[in-house]
Amino acid sequence: MQLSRRQLLVHGAGAGVLARWLPLLAARADAARQERVLVVLHLQGGNDALNMVVPHRQDRYYVLRPTLALKRSALHALDDDHGLHPAMNDLAALYAEGRLTVVQAVGHPHPDRSHFRATEIWHTGCPLGPSPGIGWLGRLSDQIWQREPGSMPALHVGDDEVPLALVGREYVAPSVSAELGLQLAELEGLDAARAGLLDASDGAGDVAFLRDVARGAYRAVERMERATERPDPVSYPDLPLARRLQRIARLLEGGFETRVFFATLGGFDTHARQAAQHASLLEQLSRSLGAFERHLAAAGLSERVATVVFSEFGRRAAENASRGTDHGAAAPVLVLGGPGRGGMRGSAPDLEALEDGDVPFQADLRSLWSTFEQEWMGLAPSSAFPPLAL
Amino acid sequence: MRPDFLRPWRAAAWDHGAASHLLRRAGFGGTPAEVAEALSLGPQETLERAFLDRGDPSLHASIEPLLSAGGIESLQAWWMSLILESGAPLRERMALVWHDHFATSNDKVDDVRLMHRQNELFRASGLGDFRELLHDVARDAAMLVWLDGNSNRAEQPNENFARELLELFALGIGSYTEDDVREVARAFSGWGTEGRSSTFRAEHHDARPKTIFGHTGAWTGDDALELVLEHPACCRHVARVLLEAFVMPSPADEWVEGVAGLLLECEWGVARTLEVLLASELFFSSAARRSRIAGPVELVAATARALDARIAPRLAARMASDMGQALFRPPSVKGWDGGRHWIHSGTWIARHNALVELATAAQVGDGRVHVDLERSFGDALDALPGRALAALIPNGSSTRFEQTLASAARGARDANHARQVVAAVVLTAPEYHLY
Repeated sequence: MQLSRRQLLVHGAGAGVLARWLPLLAARADAARQERVLVVLHLQGGNDALNMVVPHRQDRYYVLRPTLALKRSALHALDDDHGLHPAMNDLAALYAEGRLTVVQAVGHPHPDRSHFRATEIWHTGCPLGPSPGIGWLGRLSDQIWQREPGSMPALHVGDDEVPLALVGREYVAPSVSAELGLQLAELEGLDAARAGLLDASDGAGDVAFLRDVARGAYRAVERMERATERPDPVSYPDLPLARRLQRIARLLEGGFETRVFFATLGGFDTHARQAAQHASLLEQLSRSLGAFERHLAAAGLSERVATVVFSEFGRRAAENASRGTDHGAAAPVLVLGGPGRGGMRGSAPDLEALEDGDVPFQADLRSLWSTFEQEWMGLAPSSAFPPLAL
Repeated sequence: MRPDFLRPWRAAAWDHGAASHLLRRAGFGGTPAEVAEALSLGPQETLERAFLDRGDPSLHASIEPLLSAGGIESLQAWWMSLILESGAPLRERMALVWHDHFATSNDKVDDVRLMHRQNELFRASGLGDFRELLHDVARDAAMLVWLDGNSNRAEQPNENFARELLELFALGIGSYTEDDVREVARAFSGWGTEGRSSTFRAEHHDARPKTIFGHTGAWTGDDALELVLEHPACCRHVARVLLEAFVMPSPADEWVEGVAGLLLECEWGVARTLEVLLASELFFSSAARRSRIAGPVELVAATARALDARIAPRLAARMASDMGQALFRPPSVKGWDGGRHWIHSGTWIARHNALVELATAAQVGDGRVHVDLERSFGDALDALPGRALAALIPNGSSTRFEQTLASAARGARDANHARQVVAAVVLTAPEYHLY
């Protein structure tokens, strides 16, 4: 049983019972939250979400997109008003199972069409003023790091630079290649001697700190090795995003301590002749997440892991003259598991009431981040925006 | 009258530990032969030698084809070769300190020639008069690109350089107001780049009066730098940089005051200040020894030198990058945070891998390492633990440590394996990562 403190208060119990049970239940809820994992996927370049979650009932959609509009009959039906891109079989199935939640038109009041600035805003959760230089996941990592010094709160799975989202004040997540993982140079006899030395508890200050981190690092590698020795319970498609998610699933299955994972899929900046490229990216996204979710389910991890998929902006509602789309603003965010109950949140974007050619935002990204920070991870949020009911 | 802690240290206790300390801090550590030489020379002459440039001039000549090729990895490898060669230890050490202080990244500048030119500025002027260095850095083209000089115009000032000048480069938070930032930005309006040169565009300069730190005048950028240098916080700020880089993190206020006074006494001469500081009681105090967590570049360089290893500079630079210090690519204008920020599970694994590779002289990727541990540690296996510890962690030995090493050596297949295991255990011990 997992009850949050608030649920318990809302559902009401006798005051005496409450007094006796509250600390225990709260501790249990905290312990469960400490086990929870957040996987964040950034679709880089600005995903044309209007062709991912398609409001096919609106005739305006076909007017705005004379060459790019997807045929209603080819879409995977989501609800009465929306269909999912035809290339997204796995995500359609996950929606049908109630695992996928679509949050409509997430954005903020200060949309910016620059990739750099828009990314900065999403990664920091700060649409206003200069960038604070630290990311929203970095803030979470700092909180976990303070509680568990020497642990590895967050990890970037990929070969690129560590994204701003993961930059904390105290802790900056390392990058781990999806292919190589964490590999330790071996030397016969080194392990035994090292274990003996790291066992020591004398010394203080920096030496004790270094020893804690070293112990944690070797433990992490051991666990990762154990995790990778085991054959995967599911097969993954041979796609870059699938390899990144496979790495994450293996780590979690192996009992790895990391709580926040970040990965990216690039190529969404589709200004010209986008149809084939966009379809192939969405297929990669869907098949990769499908395999990942099956892996989590087989490993009994589904309850612990939430995945959120965002892009720095959506694209203009109208297609351009090159059969592509240009930089836009608010767009749907996909949430798998976690605080999402499945289904559609928010209403269909009204394509007759665009603002400056864009879908206006309904949900503030700061509220979305609060939902994961507070409700899901049980940590302090980076803004005062109230969590969303997903 | 200099404070007591700046008195010359009495060299009575000039031993292996003290010599290694000086060689590490005033450069990037010594080879076994250099440590032995330092022991016979004494502290004064060892320090004098650190100031010399006895490097191979061909290393400097080799830069042009690398710059034409354009990749930042080549420039990183080139600087690493100067650091590893250690022909001018203190000059390269100081260049690294200024690179961290005036942190400029090629990620934004995106021009290896500009990055190289800035690096040569630190190399040529880093030990000279800080006032000149600051003026030169302010009109350095890489810096002007990095902190948006081109967009600083009278009609639309950009405060980026002005803010970092006051906050990070010269004064520190608390010594100026937001108004000062705005006014200093106006003084620098019109400073920008044209091609790869710095330029002054008079039509974009705001020539009206400005009030900086309470002084009003039609200040130019150079005037603003003079006002900054005259600000009492400036010499303290520079003193703190020198203390943190050369003596220990979080220096006491009293030391900052003392070194700031010394800097003024030396007319802002960095070399002259270091001549006193690196010979002082404070510098050789036990609190200062191994008081810093080694940064990646110094860790790789000092280890290669202590093991007398030959290592491809490109590989050494990549090792440092993997550990979180990619030269010419500091994470922000604050530079590398350093200290405990160097260390987390990911970077620890990178340290482990690099150091084990050095100890076993494994061939890695496209780079090569060659190590002759027998020459460094001798062939007497029972003396191995003691010699490895003395070479790598002078004064850092303990019975437990020696016993662990002895048992690792006994369990080895043969003499060479024993030397490798002992070296690897010492290098991956937390104590080794204090510098």
